[in-house]
Amino acid sequence: MSRTGGGDEPLLEVRELCKYFSDGGGLLGGMTLDPEFPFLKRRHGDVRAVESVSFDINEGETLGLVGESGCGKSTLARTVLRLLEPTSGSVYFKGEDLASLSGEPLRRKRKDMQMIFQDPQSSLDPRMKVGPIVEEPMKAHGMLDEEGREARAKELLEKVGLDPQHYNRYPHAFSGGQRQRVNLARALSVNPDFIVCDEPVSALDVSIQAQVLNTMRDLQEEFDLTYLFIAHDLSVIRHISDRVAVMYLGRVVEIADKEELFENPRHPYTRALLDAIPVPDPRSEGRTALLTGDVPSPIDPPSGCRFRTRCPSLIQPAAYDMTDPEWANVVAFQRAVKRRSFEATNRTAIRDRHFADAKPRGEAGSVVDEAIGHVAAGEWAEAERLLTESFADRSVCATDEPAYEVSPTYGESRHYAACHLVRDDAVAAGEETRLPTSAGGTADGSVVGNEADD
Amino acid sequence: MSDPLLSVENLKTQFFTEDGTVRAVDGISFDVHEGEIVGLVGESGAGKSVATSSLLRLVDSPGEIVGGEVTFKGRTLFGLEEDANGDLRPRDDMLSEEEMRREIRGREIAIIFQDPMESLNPVFTVGGQLREFIELNRDLSEEEAKREAIDMLREVGIPAPETRYDEYPHQFSGGMRQRVLIAMALACQPDLIIADEPTTALDVTVEGQILAMVEELQRKYDTSFVWVTHDMSVVAEICDRVNVMYLGEIIEHATVDDLFYDTKHPYTRALLDSMPRPDETVHELNPIRGVMPEAIDPPSGCRFHPRCPDGREVCREVHPEPRDLAEAGEPTHRAACVKYDAFDVGYDESRPLEADVTGGFDAGLTETGGDE
Repeated sequence: MSRTGGGDEPLLEVRELCKYFSDGGGLLGGMTLDPEFPFLKRRHGDVRAVESVSFDINEGETLGLVGESGCGKSTLARTVLRLLEPTSGSVYFKGEDLASLSGEPLRRKRKDMQMIFQDPQSSLDPRMKVGPIVEEPMKAHGMLDEEGREARAKELLEKVGLDPQHYNRYPHAFSGGQRQRVNLARALSVNPDFIVCDEPVSALDVSIQAQVLNTMRDLQEEFDLTYLFIAHDLSVIRHISDRVAVMYLGRVVEIADKEELFENPRHPYTRALLDAIPVPDPRSEGRTALLTGDVPSPIDPPSGCRFRTRCPSLIQPAAYDMTDPEWANVVAFQRAVKRRSFEATNRTAIRDRHFADAKPRGEAGSVVDEAIGHVAAGEWAEAERLLTESFADRSVCATDEPAYEVSPTYGESRHYAACHLVRDDAVAAGEETRLPTSAGGTADGSVVGNEADD
Repeated sequence: MSDPLLSVENLKTQFFTEDGTVRAVDGISFDVHEGEIVGLVGESGAGKSVATSSLLRLVDSPGEIVGGEVTFKGRTLFGLEEDANGDLRPRDDMLSEEEMRREIRGREIAIIFQDPMESLNPVFTVGGQLREFIELNRDLSEEEAKREAIDMLREVGIPAPETRYDEYPHQFSGGMRQRVLIAMALACQPDLIIADEPTTALDVTVEGQILAMVEELQRKYDTSFVWVTHDMSVVAEICDRVNVMYLGEIIEHATVDDLFYDTKHPYTRALLDSMPRPDETVHELNPIRGVMPEAIDPPSGCRFHPRCPDGREVCREVHPEPRDLAEAGEPTHRAACVKYDAFDVGYDESRPLEADVTGGFDAGLTETGGDE
């Protein structure tokens, strides 16, 4: 399938891309010991590293991709480049679906897409001189003759801020920042349109990091490059990106213009990430409202919104009518029970500890009382099951998958936020948010699709 | 002010290699008072880690502590004197290797390293390692130590500590492992904890959790910390006083507020300016030009002069020792830069240094150069 290329067409379109890894192949893969007959259990479950991700990257722009370690950033990048076979979904590069290409056509396509890796040490062959390293991609794609390649390599070394005289030196003679520049030169050698940068500056010291970031920016202007820039450092992302995508547990939870995302974040996870950035200023108030808990396993991710197990603004199930403090206490109590983070004592002590200021009444109250009873009796598992079934699993966050588009306050780009909290402001919901044509919101700006059906 | 808990005077650690002597730590002095978090900040290669290992005498061959004095609660952890022949030998009151091991390390001064996986033994359970450590250092019975270990795990925020006690390090996430190490460091209620980049390998969200926890525990136990990091944001968040290191020397020392708002040394200024800010969009970053030279052959005079925006001829010749530049009544603010009047070496009359034509990129090439 191919689409016609046009001036405003995005360079790269990613649609519903999924990448699953099978959980331990082989004869004994996924086997676990079980106390009951037949003593061995075979667990089936894929690691759902990237699930249903869609986004566009326009020509000449930098899309920042940010998320905690293990959220699937690098897997997404590799799947986009077809270094990994996608489980499903499509990646259109200049209108051509990379997912359907293979063999020689795919190899030729690679000339237009390059990658820079995190570790400048291990991504350069220590036994090759820098010049030949830069020339190698040109050789692989049959570009120029030997002399032409050498001339181009020298030119590129100069462009990235190295001395062309260094052509005959080995990588070990360079510092980390300089090695990353060699990587840049190598990526540029085949004249690509699109470069995926996987944490290119996280291994470097701040002062060197700034040098490399400035160079990358200058090169982008000069060679008209498009970057997909992966980083876990939001300060770096803010510096280099035009638009930013935030990833959590294999899913993109928010995409917006850089200013919009930093100044007007709509997803609670984005907000939590932004709050967690340390500010280099002793007079700032420091980080507020930190996230608790750990990222759940991608083998069995939470239903609905994947962030709901840690979300500070989980939505109350429609069946109850608790006040905000009451609901907050219930959520905190449910998570504390799940983590077994306190010692089981008697009912009163538990009640005072978790519901001192506000305890729900009515149906919710009796569920809470029953759970407290279980905990006091040491029956953690029962308490956890009861609380989860009555509260967490009945929230709209657990039952429906969120996908909304809101109108941006800053900039022109579309603002996608996968959170049910924004449903009232949404200009598009569900599948619509992923369609490439519905840019900018509906004409009359009316609120559509309160219920996203997924 | 009372006597400092730890005081370091003119400490020097050198590595004797085939290529020459690497002066990794070259005469640093600082102190730590009770209940205080003192930062030691600098880029990689500045000598931060060697400095902290030297405090506990953990430097291995070919490295050697060659001079200076380290005192902790009135006891000499390291000290040299000249004997009759003029040779240096350990002073009589310096603690023996045995005393260091039994009384100081772990018990009085604990250390937390950057990589928690390397600090935990992969073939023993997490709980077992923690229990053994408490049992040995606090003379508790096995059961008591186990109860204490579980309490410590809960204290540092490990979920379901009774179950996690029997798990192995690989079953813990990076943040959890770092929590275990903090539990281990706190288990003997030491007076001083040396934290060597403990949050560098962690995500910001986890780093935030850990720093908040450390601050809380620090208030509770009144432990002092030496916090080693390269991250100015962490310094701003957690430290009371800060020492900035460059190429084996402390070039600036100040309270955290003064360091950020009344920065004296050009290196500290440049370091702060080169950081991208999370709270505002900056269009062009101001990197420090060049890279840090090797400690084997440091530049003459002020070691920062080849990269310094304020460098003048005199900086090439005069080696500045840190001096207190604070006004009377203000907290100490030491900096080693001759551009201040206190140094009086004719900086104002000196000619500015020519900017390096190659932009300093040559400075990063190692001695061998790799041309052959």
